[in-house]
Amino acid sequence: MALSGLEIYKLLPQTNCKDCDFPTCLAFAMKLAAKQVELKDCPHISDEAAEKLESASAPPIRLIKLHGEDGTVEVGNETVLYRHEKTFFHKPGLFLHVRDDEDLEALKAKVAEADAFSVDYVGIDLYLDGFAVEAVSGNAENFKKTVAAVIAGSKKPLILIAPEPDLAKAGLEATEGSRPLLYAANAENWEAMADIAKNADVPLVVHAENLDDMADLTKKLQDKGLEDLVLDPAAGGYLQSLHTFTTLRRLAVKSNFRPLGFPIISFPGAQDGADESLLTAQHIAKYGGFIVIENFEPAILYPLLVLRQNIYTDPQKPIQVKPGIYEINNPTDESPLLVTTNFSITYFAIANEVESAGWPGWLLVTDAEGMSVLTAWAAGKFDAERIAKDAKLFGAGEKVKHKKIILPGHVSVLSGELEEELPGWEVMVGPREAVDIGSYLKTVWQA
Amino acid sequence: MTVEIPKEKWSGQVREVTIGATAEDGGTRTQTLTIGGETTLPFLHFEGNIPHRPALAIEIRDRKPDDWSPILMETWGEAMESPAAWAKAAEEAGADLIYLVLSLTTADGEENTPENVRRVVREVLDATGLPLAVAGPGQADIDNELIVPVAEEAEGERILLGICEEGNYRTIVAAALANNHLVQSKTPMDVNLSKQLVILISDMGIPLERIVMDPTTGALGYGIEYGYSVMERLRLAALQGDSMTQQPMLVNPGAEAWKVKESKVGEGVPESWGDWQNRALEWEALTASSLVQSGADILILRHPETLKRVKAMIDALLATAA
Amino acid sequence: MATHKVKLLPEEKSVEVPTGTLITEAAISAGLEITQPCGGQGRCGRCAVKVEEGVVRKRSTIRLNADDLESGWALACQSLIEGDAVISIPEQERIERRLVTEQTARAIELPFDYIPAETQSIQTRQLSLNPPTLDDSQDDLARLQGALQELGYHPVEISLLLLQRIGPVLRESDWKPHVLLDAPTPGSGPARLIEIGASPFHPHGVALDIGTTTVTAYLVDLISGKVKASAAEYNGQIARGEDVISRIIYAGKGNGLSELGTLVRETIQIVLEKLQRRTGVPPDEIFKVTVAGNTTMIHLFLRLPPETIRLTPYIPAVNHPPRFLASDLDLPFHPLASVDCLPGIASYVGADISAGVLASGLSENDALTLFIDVGTNGEIVLGNRDWMLTCACSAGPAFEGAGVVDGMRATQGAIEEVWVHSDTFEPTYRVIGGEKPRGICGSGLISLLSELFVTGVIDRAGSVKLDLDTSRVRQGDHGPEYVVAWADESDTKRDIVLTKVDVDNLMRAKAAIYAGFSVLADSIGVDLADVQQVLVGGAFGKYINIENAINIGLLPDLPWDRFHFLGNTAALGTYMGLLSNELRMQIRDIANRMTYMELSADNSFYDAFTAALFLPHTNIAHFPSVAKIWGDEVDNKKEEK
Repeated sequence: MALSGLEIYKLLPQTNCKDCDFPTCLAFAMKLAAKQVELKDCPHISDEAAEKLESASAPPIRLIKLHGEDGTVEVGNETVLYRHEKTFFHKPGLFLHVRDDEDLEALKAKVAEADAFSVDYVGIDLYLDGFAVEAVSGNAENFKKTVAAVIAGSKKPLILIAPEPDLAKAGLEATEGSRPLLYAANAENWEAMADIAKNADVPLVVHAENLDDMADLTKKLQDKGLEDLVLDPAAGGYLQSLHTFTTLRRLAVKSNFRPLGFPIISFPGAQDGADESLLTAQHIAKYGGFIVIENFEPAILYPLLVLRQNIYTDPQKPIQVKPGIYEINNPTDESPLLVTTNFSITYFAIANEVESAGWPGWLLVTDAEGMSVLTAWAAGKFDAERIAKDAKLFGAGEKVKHKKIILPGHVSVLSGELEEELPGWEVMVGPREAVDIGSYLKTVWQA
Repeated sequence: MTVEIPKEKWSGQVREVTIGATAEDGGTRTQTLTIGGETTLPFLHFEGNIPHRPALAIEIRDRKPDDWSPILMETWGEAMESPAAWAKAAEEAGADLIYLVLSLTTADGEENTPENVRRVVREVLDATGLPLAVAGPGQADIDNELIVPVAEEAEGERILLGICEEGNYRTIVAAALANNHLVQSKTPMDVNLSKQLVILISDMGIPLERIVMDPTTGALGYGIEYGYSVMERLRLAALQGDSMTQQPMLVNPGAEAWKVKESKVGEGVPESWGDWQNRALEWEALTASSLVQSGADILILRHPETLKRVKAMIDALLATAA
Repeated sequence: MATHKVKLLPEEKSVEVPTGTLITEAAISAGLEITQPCGGQGRCGRCAVKVEEGVVRKRSTIRLNADDLESGWALACQSLIEGDAVISIPEQERIERRLVTEQTARAIELPFDYIPAETQSIQTRQLSLNPPTLDDSQDDLARLQGALQELGYHPVEISLLLLQRIGPVLRESDWKPHVLLDAPTPGSGPARLIEIGASPFHPHGVALDIGTTTVTAYLVDLISGKVKASAAEYNGQIARGEDVISRIIYAGKGNGLSELGTLVRETIQIVLEKLQRRTGVPPDEIFKVTVAGNTTMIHLFLRLPPETIRLTPYIPAVNHPPRFLASDLDLPFHPLASVDCLPGIASYVGADISAGVLASGLSENDALTLFIDVGTNGEIVLGNRDWMLTCACSAGPAFEGAGVVDGMRATQGAIEEVWVHSDTFEPTYRVIGGEKPRGICGSGLISLLSELFVTGVIDRAGSVKLDLDTSRVRQGDHGPEYVVAWADESDTKRDIVLTKVDVDNLMRAKAAIYAGFSVLADSIGVDLADVQQVLVGGAFGKYINIENAINIGLLPDLPWDRFHFLGNTAALGTYMGLLSNELRMQIRDIANRMTYMELSADNSFYDAFTAALFLPHTNIAHFPSVAKIWGDEVDNKKEEK
């Protein structure tokens, strides 16, 4: 169970020595409770206290790192069940499933296309994380050749799906220099697979049909010295995977149950009766770690990657609206232009007020780092320079021809400076409260 | 090794809310819709009950809309010409609820009138036996002007009236009270605001069994995560026994998803966005399915294909063979 | 650039100014003053002037209604001269000179057994030197230093000013001079000579609390340790901005910083004159000054640019200022008096809180304690002797009556308490001074809000219920409002009202403060219900009714006996620091030990704030006693129906 800041503080030296670069031991304790610093940043902690704190601060789900010739994927280290409690830290990896019985040229083309796929979402580059290559032919040479062909087409990390030890070995020979995930050890082959994974220093998937067997297996593998494990609980469709993945996350995070404190691998496209994209979406939201998909289809992949980005956004940051010029009630170039900040609540308040008052209007939402009008102004994030910059950036001059801009009443002080920053514009001062916008426009706006 | 499956002991329960009244209860609906009643998080049957499935509503308009995606226009086609036909088509598509949104103006650009909305509501009620929800166009004064006659026209049908917002709820709640309907309370993605509006509405004397809470959500890529987390927090609070968060939740992924560029625009977009039709449908389906995971009790959709896909998913999540 | 002639009435002064000059600037260049309580931001509307002839360009017309505009009124700080004009400046509002602090000036007790020789850094001694002879030809300074060293004072710093006087004084005193020393270790050690003379000194000191609104000073006899007199005066900077942010902004304009520094010195001068009248002690016989104030006030006092205080990451120039000499700071004390500014914690938690915590005893107490100081800003400390967590919340000055249409400070004519009848909704009120009311002060606002809520005039979101059967509720210029006093019973001949906007302002202020409590408690992992005592500092605390404050969710719902009102803890703590070196060290320790939380850093504050933006709170479970009253009230209503 996580310790509170105060509980941690009681174990610290309480000297406020500042060697951790925080002003007080309490400040450090609170950061440690929030898992934003590491225990080793305090050089003066007693061994006894360190021991107590280590167990409380160790991440309940092991971080697993894969890397290809280029590019890495990190999964795990999650600490909460619901994203609002802190955040989800490491996005699940999305891997495209390919097989060694496919036509090699066709496969190369598919890998090249999927590898090159990239889409821009609010300035973030979204792409597939890698490929899961499966040995279905049963032929080690063939598998090795296929893996080599995938590597030739993509430097992204790989998952090697090779149920037999000799196939696994062959696959790993082809991936030397990178760190793929090896799939999978089970009750029968675990000793051989463990040796192979250990020799190659790669993480190993553990496959079991139920959690009891799974915990037995991970225990045995850990006894053999394997720490980097991934779980394949063989969970089927929507319902079974929801129950199993939720249970695994609860065991790790709430019960601190170490034998199952590893990320999960899933195959949403291989489930009978399930819609691959909807099941993938469920695994993104509900505790998936490595997700292997069957189909490469940009129209499906793009929304899935966006969903993953959204779910893994840090919820502690203020809720922001994308800066820009928003349309309300189909405005024309004669409709009023109001300006506000990109704090979502502020935006909603203004937009709703204009909308429900029935005014067509333009709303310039400036980048004030998610602060409300007064806070942003006080902190220097909503000043004439910034407003003018965004007005130009988003083409306010093209949206309206009257060249009038309405400032929130709370920052009337900016009107002079803004006129200087926006030559040729008339700066008007609106009301201080959103509720007065309707009556304000009624009295001053005659377009 | 025997792994003990952790189970939460929740003390609270989501309220059961029934929309629609059959002849027996003084209405004319052939079926009613009951939602809520959950005693655990979505679909965790192993630790609680999910007595009612999340319901899927189809949004229809009192007239053919001007600004909907051509993909939707093509799908509904002729049916959009009359609210009654559209409602019937929605019923055939498998909707559990008709969500009728009134327009500001009529098709010929005239202001919408109480007489017109009465007529539309009557036609829709006559065309389908499904329970009904009716929302105003979203401008406080006009909403009030149109929703009151709607409430009167549908007296006894236990329809869901929308949309109560913090600045404008008293008239709609009064109309619901007078005509035995339910209300939709909508707040902008904030746990506290959701709760506060439920408190204010219930302080007017309407029973909590007649309030459906709309916490608002963004579309995928446009703030879905905020709505998603607000819903999770509301549901957790409900299960922990916080009475004013125990209303069933309604969300509108259809309207949200179909107003974004990804679903609206087919040309002049990056090639990596893929096929327009597929992308648009994915956008609505993923927005909706994610909100099913975060606890939605009613989802308003626009495309019948999305309804089919989400329904199949919900079927699977409710299949408790074990 | 074109210039225009501006004539200002009623003084009939004319000035020539360039196009685009603000009316306020024109007035200043004519040597006239227009009050700008919001610092010239166009927020308060109190700089309204009447344009009799000519045209000005009005950027903002906030707080002026259509009739005002029609008859030529304009905001002086928001209107630009763009042609010749004749402008009338109405008689400027004079700040009431009767201060809360003075109204209730009471004997300040010695906070502990005071033994100056052990704790006071100002030491007076009479020395006995051997007169020089032909054999003993040490110079005067060496002789003096020798004598001081025999008493343990070594080394002793001596300024040129004193060196110039040593020779005559030594001889005049027959080699038995009286000295006055500033010795950081009382009684001995390194020291600084402040005075030397033939007759004994009676040293005095001043504890100075520079508040955003009020400057308070205690004149202290450093031999007895007793406060001989206290005095207070509104901070002269108010006319340049009512809150710290406005002043920071003002300091950044032109020579605003220097002007604000001068204004506070003028206020200090007035306070010192009052003290001299009451005690006969002139400022130049004050040898030690200890100063507290919020971080912005200290910056302006020392004339340090305060701009970085308001900008992320909110770093002040100094939290622990070194000691200065009065002469360096251009202050009217003895030129060699040490001016000791107490240490602050962060940009928005200043020395007033370090001193306040000392005075409150929180830092020496085992009990989990919540200390709040609500002034123009709200600062909160949660903790006990082992740990202390602090934050500032920008509650704004609503509880001082600012930002409320009929709000006013707690002076003559202010409604200070209100009762509302639960059936007729008719109010009864009490006015300070017992005369006709002019407005409502902070305690009155809290009590009014509580009454309106409990009687159901406003709902839990603070909306006025217009459908009630009483003429007291109505639609006003600023939306729905409640009439507290009709025009014929008020001193202003206008209805005194509380508008929806006022209610919103008060709700935001109380929500900010309560959210501060919740975030501090949550972030450290304690429950507010476990707080064993709530110590309320600041003038604000003295008059509020705990029940009302709990009803509206301003204070946590705890048993009343856990609340203690301590008055001006900043001044008291400063006084303690002035008297005792040891306590002065404790203040430094408090400042060092306190952990500051920046509330703007994440969402948790906002969440707590929206939760608190309801009456009394969104989670009624946190206010069981209110749920009870309110629940009963509701039930009664139901029975009536």
